[in-house]
Amino acid sequence: MLPGIRAPTHPPGDERGLIMSYTELTVWTRGIIMDKEGRDIVNSISASARIEGKYAQAMENYVDNPDRTNAPTRKYCRVSDNILENELTYENEQPNIVVLVEGTMVKGWDYMRGMPPGGTLVINTHYTPDYMIRFVPGAERLAQLVCVDAAKIADHKWLYYRLGELGLDRLSTEGAAERNKSIAPDIAAPLIAAVVKTTGIVKMATIEPMIANKHAFEVALKELHIMPLNPVAV
Amino acid sequence: MATTSVSKKRMVRINGCVASAQAAKYADVDVIAAYPIRPYTATMMALAQMVANGELDAEYIVADSEHSQLSIAHGAASAGARVFTGSSGVGVQFAYELYSPISGSRMPVQMMIADRTLDPPGDFGSEHTDALSTRDMGWIMGWSCDAQEAFDNHLIAYRIGEDPRVLLPQMVCQDGFFVSHITGDVELPDAGQVKEFLPPYKHPYPLDPRHPVSHGPQIMPEQGPPLQLERARAMEESMAVIEQAHEEFEKIFGRKYDPWLEEFMTDDAEVVFFLQGAHAVTARFAIKHMRDKGLKVGMVRLRTIRPYPTDRVNEVLSKFKVVGVIETNMGLGSVSSGGSLYAEVCAALYESQKRPLILSFMAGMGGEAIVLKEFYWMTQKMVDAQKRGKIEKRTHWVGFEE
Repeated sequence: MLPGIRAPTHPPGDERGLIMSYTELTVWTRGIIMDKEGRDIVNSISASARIEGKYAQAMENYVDNPDRTNAPTRKYCRVSDNILENELTYENEQPNIVVLVEGTMVKGWDYMRGMPPGGTLVINTHYTPDYMIRFVPGAERLAQLVCVDAAKIADHKWLYYRLGELGLDRLSTEGAAERNKSIAPDIAAPLIAAVVKTTGIVKMATIEPMIANKHAFEVALKELHIMPLNPVAV
Repeated sequence: MATTSVSKKRMVRINGCVASAQAAKYADVDVIAAYPIRPYTATMMALAQMVANGELDAEYIVADSEHSQLSIAHGAASAGARVFTGSSGVGVQFAYELYSPISGSRMPVQMMIADRTLDPPGDFGSEHTDALSTRDMGWIMGWSCDAQEAFDNHLIAYRIGEDPRVLLPQMVCQDGFFVSHITGDVELPDAGQVKEFLPPYKHPYPLDPRHPVSHGPQIMPEQGPPLQLERARAMEESMAVIEQAHEEFEKIFGRKYDPWLEEFMTDDAEVVFFLQGAHAVTARFAIKHMRDKGLKVGMVRLRTIRPYPTDRVNEVLSKFKVVGVIETNMGLGSVSSGGSLYAEVCAALYESQKRPLILSFMAGMGGEAIVLKEFYWMTQKMVDAQKRGKIEKRTHWVGFEE
């Protein structure tokens, strides 16, 4: 975690009547072709948080399914020191951390909606934060903008090379639990590295063992482009 | 008989849909009749994968509609198979014609329901109207509130339905999304435990060319009354079997469920929610917070609605001053102009010497999550009624009133 940046949480007592405090992570990805990448991010972080003794859940946006090829779909993760009292709510209404699994998603829809001040945005792109920030709506709410060239680092193979894997993994498109050994074989690995390193949402040592593409995970830790913005007092 | 590969007892993190598929696998079902509709689809996806992987030896039949699905289930059960099927929302409705014939020929078919709203609004959210509209068709019916309970209820329901004293089909219901798509920690049992609890199924009169029998023949009017009386008696007499099955389940698996009503913080409660399904999860948190503020509020969750535990509901709800029924279903033009749970609660309490005030809350419609502050709002309505000594009106639409 960078100095001055904390794993952001929602304070207790918000308008929904929640009494616990917790962190929301929302991943935006592209239906079918990058579905698993998005799912891997929320599943691995949620599983790591539970290993660390926290309460956590991972799920897909219920209405996005069944997803369409390339359509924007959302995956959610919630982490708290307390039991999750809003476990049954459909969406993350106030995401503290947002990940864009594919760079062009930075334009076109409001993935920043609801983000409280002190948030983190992670983008898979070969551009730098200096260039990307102009496309981010409501960037003043960000404590940091993080760019990582995940596709290059993971030596990403597109759909045609991956049909077998997608076929085997079809089950989880309706929210079924993930099999550990196949978590993050691809571009999810650098993105998970970026989220964990810049927000501290879980410990590096907890999540690293469950990542399939260890090389991409480790390279990404050294190749993040981080733009510090408006940190919230710790 | 099918052979199944099932491992030792272990904890897994799965959602309600997968929990139901796992239960069907542990029950070693012989025939699966599938047709996709959200949200229950994931159950059939998981079962298809189990059959393809050789984990489960069952006939997996893909129907061309829900009507065919239930027809296949009916036929397979008549031949003596343990059958698993399921549906959601309008899919449940499309198969409506088959519900009475299946219970009428006393076939213990099991159907998993992951609730979905009917049209309108036709969204993917959970209203119980889909299954509830079939509640008088002679199926054993109840709701679970999380993935573990869903898994358990499938095994328990097979045990009840296949009991020779009962022989009735079962609808094992769970809320779409709130159970079907929310992951929870589920204990998958040891295969030996399931074998002990649920012996291989044997229908007493299967269709068999060597021993001809008739199922569902055309009859004369005077043959109707005894047939109907028998089915009604089977439903009535299932109540003792249901209680036995839950006791036996606790002995073997160590999880204790009251077959009829879950009571939460009701010991000194004056006002209680009465509901079924997954909103109980959020209700428990809300009740704990309100208890911290000194409000004497609790919850009674209906676990089995068919057969209806009239005497238990009467006995339990008579202890309280106000009962707030959370409907999660549409009963258009019904007794309360709200949902359909209210009327049965009132009927069950009619003979009580100490009738509580009863309110009906239309909440969670369209499958919306009922959030904590809505539980606080409903509690306030109940407390107000208690102070006033009478209700302001029968039905409140939560979110539409001050």
